[in-house]
Amino acid sequence: MIWEVFRQENAGDYHKHCGNVHAPDREMAKLFAQIQHGRRMQTKSLWVVPQEEVGEVDTDDTSFGGTTDKAYRWAVTYTQVDESFAEEIAESQAEQEEQAKKKREAETND
Amino acid sequence: MDLETVKERAGPRQFSPEDDMPEEYRKAATRMIQFHANSEVMGGYLEKPFIRQAPSLDRKLAFSAKVQDEVGHAQLLYRAAESLGIKTREEMLNELATGKGKFLNCFHYPMESWAEVPMIGFFVDGAAMRRQATLKTTSWEPYAHAMDKVCFEEGFHVKHGEDILRELMTGSKANQERVQEVFDEWWPRILQFFGPTDDKSTHNDFSQDVGLKTMSNDELRNAFLNAYVPKARKYGLELPATPRVTENDDGTWEVVEEDLNWEEFFTIAKNDSEGSYEQIGSRRDRQEAVDWVREAMSDRAPLGSGSSPQAAD
Repeated sequence: MIWEVFRQENAGDYHKHCGNVHAPDREMAKLFAQIQHGRRMQTKSLWVVPQEEVGEVDTDDTSFGGTTDKAYRWAVTYTQVDESFAEEIAESQAEQEEQAKKKREAETND
Repeated sequence: MDLETVKERAGPRQFSPEDDMPEEYRKAATRMIQFHANSEVMGGYLEKPFIRQAPSLDRKLAFSAKVQDEVGHAQLLYRAAESLGIKTREEMLNELATGKGKFLNCFHYPMESWAEVPMIGFFVDGAAMRRQATLKTTSWEPYAHAMDKVCFEEGFHVKHGEDILRELMTGSKANQERVQEVFDEWWPRILQFFGPTDDKSTHNDFSQDVGLKTMSNDELRNAFLNAYVPKARKYGLELPATPRVTENDDGTWEVVEEDLNWEEFFTIAKNDSEGSYEQIGSRRDRQEAVDWVREAMSDRAPLGSGSSPQAAD
């Protein structure tokens, strides 16, 4: 039986998928996850989830959007006003730009 | 966990549904997050009619995207509130529809003209964004996670709001006058957004002691005024003579409490004004209109392996 493993690095972080382990039951899965995924990397907590319990929808099934030009949705579009007057607005815009960059990179890699 | 331990351990994202939190904490967090979630719904509903009134296709697209975001934020927040085990999502939605649920003062007032849109879209959203940015470090982890996504999206909302303000204030004289008129009306409400000053606030101490709130009403109001008063002036808006607001030399502001109408504020807080009845009624009508959707959903077999939330008490 395959168990997907999610690792959280620090308290308050998201659990991020980091791999999977073979194990006959939940207890063993937790033990193997510790050994394989919790030893070297900074770890606060691990989740193990039976692989068949994970539902997936991918690009074969659907289009996730982002192909239509929705420039109006992004802070960076509004160039006649500036974001720097409030740090939280600047931060939000920076996060959006970072996402846009990742998306562009993914598209060039396709 | 007892309350003393909670206060000792209180810090950014310290507590999650796995921790056995005392009832006082869970109730205080529920009150705060439910209020926040309700406000997202009611803000969205207040703005919704202006999708139709938007003066251009660009504005219409952006504005409908924004309303969609606000309703999405409410969904995230009801989940974060539900994870405290005090109230279910359904209970909270019913409380909102029946007038028991509380929400932000600014969303109780009717909005009639496009000139009012930046009052919400720039000033109120800007105030909310200031507050939300500080809640990324709240002690209830699911709440902080919700704030990550909310703050990611809000930058667009506030800049779009400012862009509408810029457009109106660089346009015709008539538009400028209209905006000044509604600004005079909205400004006191916006000042009241952050609640009474610290010495008059009732929930402040406990929420800060247990890390739910990380900044006090006064600190938030100061940060807001420092950023947004210069913006108002930049676009040629004049602050009304009352309520008196004066800037100190150290980057803080004095707001003269007795210039603000606290009787109105607390009446509204109890959902007891003309606007409250209208807004809540509109939400209740919608809730009833889509009842069949929830009905259809609930007939489905439960999905997943059925991990249950922390028991309600």
